[in-house]
Amino acid sequence: MIELYAVVDHPGPRLPTLARLRTAATTRLAAIYAPADDGEISPERLWRHEEIVEALMQDRDLLPVRYGTRLDDERAATRFLTDREEPLVSALDDVRGAVELAVRVLRTGERPDARSRPDPVTSGAEYLRRKAGSAAAERSATLAVHEPLSAAARRDVRRPSSVTGELLRAAYLVDRNRVDEFVSLVARLQDANPALRLLCTGPWPPYSFAER
Amino acid sequence: MSDKFLHRPAELDPFATALPRLDDALSRRVNSGPENVERGLAQLVLTIVELLRQLMERQALRRIDDRTLSEDEVERLGQTFMALAERMDELRHEFGLDPEDLNLNLGPLGNLL
Repeated sequence: MIELYAVVDHPGPRLPTLARLRTAATTRLAAIYAPADDGEISPERLWRHEEIVEALMQDRDLLPVRYGTRLDDERAATRFLTDREEPLVSALDDVRGAVELAVRVLRTGERPDARSRPDPVTSGAEYLRRKAGSAAAERSATLAVHEPLSAAARRDVRRPSSVTGELLRAAYLVDRNRVDEFVSLVARLQDANPALRLLCTGPWPPYSFAER
Repeated sequence: MSDKFLHRPAELDPFATALPRLDDALSRRVNSGPENVERGLAQLVLTIVELLRQLMERQALRRIDDRTLSEDEVERLGQTFMALAERMDELRHEFGLDPEDLNLNLGPLGNLL
């Protein structure tokens, strides 16, 4: 069994020496793989996988392959590339010269809803008005962050929140030479929105933009 | 991992609150003494009631936006939802549940509420 790490252009730069990396190539594409371990799935192995993909990302464009993707042998990897050559080439073109940055936005403190307001709500209409007000305020706070970031990115993907109070969870595909610009935009948006907490991580392999 | 932070607030803990909840979800399933079962059942039922309450409330807000309701109707709806929210708080309190407990993490779909 072999474990896949990335799909890259062929020919490409020399492989880094970490792990026993090999390539299975067609005329335009190569799959980078290593012999698979038989050990259990673990966070350490996941990070090791990530480390290898990131090392490859240093000096080449790539479609990252998720941890745990295995094929029988080199021939199977070549067949994988041949069967999907066109979509893989165009997916690789889409992420060329770019990396993925992740942004999460939480609101600070308590939800400003009717129950936590100091003055009690007396009428039903007022209760609904406040509900509508806080929902609208949340939507506009989210857009105040997402829209400028989206404009600074090549593409973006929004994901559902998994934490209460999380207004935005998104991935942005950003040109390598515009990462600094993007990060200072995040810092400016943080300054402009003290009621929000912004977290930006990366650069990541373009996992969110490699599939469609 | 820390070199992956391009911009981070001083306080990082709130971003990690989903992690312990995952453990809770797993441990809830095996911890099945009589009291836990009752509380777990109440939690499940209240979660569904809370989901319906929030859905209806959002629907009402949408109808107000569309201006398809008279002032009287808005007032009556508001009173109803206010009473429902209060009753919900009381029930939660009775079973010792936090608002957070009435939520389900649906994995890639995000939170139920």
